[in-house]
Amino acid sequence: MTALSIALLIPWAAGVALLAVDGRRAWVPWISVGALAATLITLGAVAAQVLASGPVTMTTGNWPVGVGITLRADALGVTFALLSVAMLTAAVVHEAFDGVAEREFPALVLLLAAGLEGAFLTGDIFNFYVFFELALAASYVLALHGPGPRVLGAGLVFTAVNVVGTFVFLLSVAGVYRVTATLDMARIGERMAVADPNAAILIAVGFFVAFSVKLGLFPFHFWLPTVYTAARPAVAAILSGSVANIGAYGLLRFGAGLLPRELELAAGALIVLGGASILYGGVLAISRRSAGEMLAYSAIGQVGYVLVAIGIGGPVGFAAAIAYAIVNAANKTMLFLTTSQRGVVVGGLFALGALSIAGIPPAAGFVGKLEVFRAVVGDPVVAGVLLLGSLLSLVYAFEVYQVEHWRPAADATAVRVSWRAWVVPVALGGVILALGVWPEPLLALSDAAARVLPGANP
Amino acid sequence: MSPVIGVVAPRILAPAVMLAAGLIVKGYSDTGEGFSAGVIVALAIGLRYITLGRRRADRTLAVARHANVVAAAGLLIALGFGFQGVLSGAPPFTHLPPPGSPVIGIGTLELTTAVGFDVGLFLLVAGSLTVLIRYLTELLPDPADDPGDER
Repeated sequence: MTALSIALLIPWAAGVALLAVDGRRAWVPWISVGALAATLITLGAVAAQVLASGPVTMTTGNWPVGVGITLRADALGVTFALLSVAMLTAAVVHEAFDGVAEREFPALVLLLAAGLEGAFLTGDIFNFYVFFELALAASYVLALHGPGPRVLGAGLVFTAVNVVGTFVFLLSVAGVYRVTATLDMARIGERMAVADPNAAILIAVGFFVAFSVKLGLFPFHFWLPTVYTAARPAVAAILSGSVANIGAYGLLRFGAGLLPRELELAAGALIVLGGASILYGGVLAISRRSAGEMLAYSAIGQVGYVLVAIGIGGPVGFAAAIAYAIVNAANKTMLFLTTSQRGVVVGGLFALGALSIAGIPPAAGFVGKLEVFRAVVGDPVVAGVLLLGSLLSLVYAFEVYQVEHWRPAADATAVRVSWRAWVVPVALGGVILALGVWPEPLLALSDAAARVLPGANP
Repeated sequence: MSPVIGVVAPRILAPAVMLAAGLIVKGYSDTGEGFSAGVIVALAIGLRYITLGRRRADRTLAVARHANVVAAAGLLIALGFGFQGVLSGAPPFTHLPPPGSPVIGIGTLELTTAVGFDVGLFLLVAGSLTVLIRYLTELLPDPADDPGDER
């Protein structure tokens, strides 16, 4: 219980304290890394406790349930919290090696970590909204920072779209409170089951739109390529590897956790949208020639797999969605961190990432894809779409590989990069390989995480 | 500028701080807390920046130049009081002294962790709004350079 509060307090307090110092000094990002590592260790302790003996719940100030704010760590929340903080740590270590460009970067990443963790580890939907906003506020500043009007324009798009998405989310939260008279997730689940179906569907659509915007699902993807291509590699890695996890988590928690009836009703629509996302992202990514642009469109396609798996539902579908989200976050973080580099090592990493996106062993992407295919095995049409999507990703990933890593670089300065620039991507590549070769921990974790959702235990 | 505003603006800050202090003190048995207290003080500061212009307001209110530090300190104070229970293994936002036990009071001010949290919140809100005010008033022309102003 104490570990849960400490895991929240560390990044929050360290983030505020670091705001006071200039993050471009060499030692500052390492403090940020230290705080994130401490958070990871504490979260690991919470996760061990949760996986061994069930959810850890804590009500602030020991108030009666329903009055105090509930912090609740279950397997699903802890999995996503660990994933997001780990990807943030990777991005900060990379930036620390590379030299931090922005004054506030180390502090903002910590505040982002606090917000994400709080959102994943709360049992109260309004509290979720508050932490969601904290994380988004930090990511707005991250996205807005950078040289030139292009970054500012992209940051403005990101901010505007997310403010609208959050507003829709808040409307749905208000709707939930109106219908169930509670904000506590456990009680909402019970009371939503007997609520007016029309109101429940309206609320469910609001949540779906809010989280789809966050994930960049087709047809809510319009902002994503602009933002991901304009941002610096570390920021793009943070946005796609950590912040976007809120979308997948939200669809699982709010869809499968709180509104399982409505999720089942909309299953067909989710699968169609997911399929559209896969094909749209794949086709547009083929027409791109730079790694950054390709990855941005690929991100739209990859989240389609998560949505299809959620649409299929059941223990297998949800576990597949979680496993895919984890693998996808690792892929995207590694590939975005290497977008501006060239060389033998980076070329190898890119090839590994490309194999992972396409779902070819020994990369971890194979495990993710395999799980999703396992979920859709009864449906040849959906399986066909997924297969087509995988083929498209194989084509676009290796097309970019050919253009960027086979041909001699036009810009000779980009060829030589120091070992510092690729140490983090190499570590992430190692993780991706390890998860591909030995997937049991990943699968066990995603199974445990899926089991907390009522939709997975019909 | 209307003479009323010219006279009121530089003098409103002290009463606003008093009002804010009152709000924080009485917030536990009555309406009011750190957030509204912070907004009230920030409004008074805002009025001063709009009427005097950023340059002169900065000169007369040195602490406003460090509003970002005030806001960060406030957040740290609030976090400290909010999470103090964690030290003894209790959940965050545990009330000290515990409900039912005697409270040290100075007049109507009762020394509890909730008051400490609200003081932090007050500094955070007042500080961050002042940061915003200073950014925005930078865009305004300085009234001191305006020949029509004879204060």
